[in-house]
Amino acid sequence: MNALRNSILAALLTACLLTLAAPDAHAQMGAASRGPATQANGASAAWTPQPSVSISSVNASAPAPILINRRVVVLDPAHGGSDSGAQISDTTVEKDVTLALAFRLRAMLTARGFTVVMTRDSDAMASPTPGAGELTLDDRAGVANHAHAAACLLLHASGSGVGVHLYRSELDAAPGESAVPPWLTAQAAWIPQSSLLEGELANALTRSGIPLVTGRASVRPMDSLTCPALVVELAPADEDVDSMNRTDYQQQVARAIAGALLVWADQVQAPLRLSSAAPAMNHPGAGSSGAGVQP
Amino acid sequence: MKDHLQEGSQPAPSSPHVSVIQEIQRRQRIVFWCLIVCIVAMGVLLAAERHRERKRIEALADQMPIDAPTAVEETVTLELASDADGTLRPETRQIALPQATNARVKALLDHLLAYYALPDSAHALPPGPAVAEVFLLPLPVVGYVASPLPPGAHSGTDSGADPASVRTTAPVSSSDPNALQPRQPGGELAVIDLLSSWVNQHPSGVEVESLTLRSILGTLHANLPQIEQVRFLVDGQTRETLAGHADLLRTYPTAHDNAMQTGGNDPGPAKE
Ligand SMILES: [Zn+2]
Repeated sequence: MNALRNSILAALLTACLLTLAAPDAHAQMGAASRGPATQANGASAAWTPQPSVSISSVNASAPAPILINRRVVVLDPAHGGSDSGAQISDTTVEKDVTLALAFRLRAMLTARGFTVVMTRDSDAMASPTPGAGELTLDDRAGVANHAHAAACLLLHASGSGVGVHLYRSELDAAPGESAVPPWLTAQAAWIPQSSLLEGELANALTRSGIPLVTGRASVRPMDSLTCPALVVELAPADEDVDSMNRTDYQQQVARAIAGALLVWADQVQAPLRLSSAAPAMNHPGAGSSGAGVQP
Repeated sequence: MKDHLQEGSQPAPSSPHVSVIQEIQRRQRIVFWCLIVCIVAMGVLLAAERHRERKRIEALADQMPIDAPTAVEETVTLELASDADGTLRPETRQIALPQATNARVKALLDHLLAYYALPDSAHALPPGPAVAEVFLLPLPVVGYVASPLPPGAHSGTDSGADPASVRTTAPVSSSDPNALQPRQPGGELAVIDLLSSWVNQHPSGVEVESLTLRSILGTLHANLPQIEQVRFLVDGQTRETLAGHADLLRTYPTAHDNAMQTGGNDPGPAKE
């Protein structure tokens, strides 16, 4: 009996001692709750320019007239691989629609004598950098810029609205292209041409009876393109979203676009090359993702 | 032993042997209850301490309260997006905003984006917190970036420091000559750090993503016109797009005239 009592007392004393020792938990709790604050500071410190992968697509050499291959068109079937784009319906994802439309357009453009450069012709394209995985958006812009094409069309698809939506860059037009165009705003010099191309495509689509919406949007990597560039977004033909997969509908859209590009190829003008007196950008890749501008 | 228990359990006649045992038991009982009282008192003390400490730490961690104690309701204009027609329409609200500008921006955006998470929203966006933090920088932004020493400068390795730490700063130039310059004196750049938990659930599409950004920019411009430019981060890092389309690397102007499709210099065909 006594042994039992003693053991109970011993247990209680231990509990007492533990209770006394417990304030150590304060320190631990403190450290834990200070964690987020430190993280927040880390977040602000992490805002440093990240040199993004800068494909040397822009010719950094001495000022020379800007080259345009009038019979070359770049098609960028947006998304692909792990990036599915928008989920358009239970059975349709954007990346498949854009690739299907690109194949149709390529066939029609090739038939009209164009050379077509595609940024992907399968679900996912490997990056030229070994081990870098899939082609990034910057890689795609690099591929497009190397082609010196008469038009660069970024093909997208959307389940909302009907017909075709055309978007051009939201950048302000620049008077000309500097010797080393800044990566994130290279499209600025091409805005007037992109705008004219938009008009050409809009006329052709309207003539074909395809409902059309035009607008401006900042869609990566359009602002880095050094060619007349547009986002061409395919929307359903009617209320049924899966109608965008219909062959006849896609053919109709592709035919209108190919016809417009044929006219466009004779009109396209390169922007002026600005003299290299303009201040050289010391890091076009990091450019406006950086922390500032030289005063 | 058995006998003792028997006797102890029943009120026994007053034998001196038994009374000694009872006395011992009484003392033990006193000690026992004293200890219990001690334990309870210490428990209460500990709980009180813990509570006080937790409050102190919470106060430390939360140095930017969303609603300052002095916040008063004021009228704000939200530029609400509608997916149906791709437009923004202004709507005024009465909400309490804190005093500090970056806390105001965050509170405004929290309010705006929470509205889109409502079930009948015209521009459905994921629920949950969206904005981690907002930083404000006066324009023009002048900055320097750490860069490795030019090769020639390496000759004097006098310091003997490890090469990674031997760096100079190089001025960062903007890629856009118009970017990062104020339109009005006192103009500011807001850096909005979004949460990936929210961004990763944002619906994908040119228009839906663009509308989210335009709604944020328009709302900031309507209520805090000194914020002229906006940049976005996700979890403190740059990210290419919001959900596969809208450019998050760009510096966005908040003012409509050079940002959005307000016609003007738009020779393209109108909406059909
Ligand atoms: Zn897309």
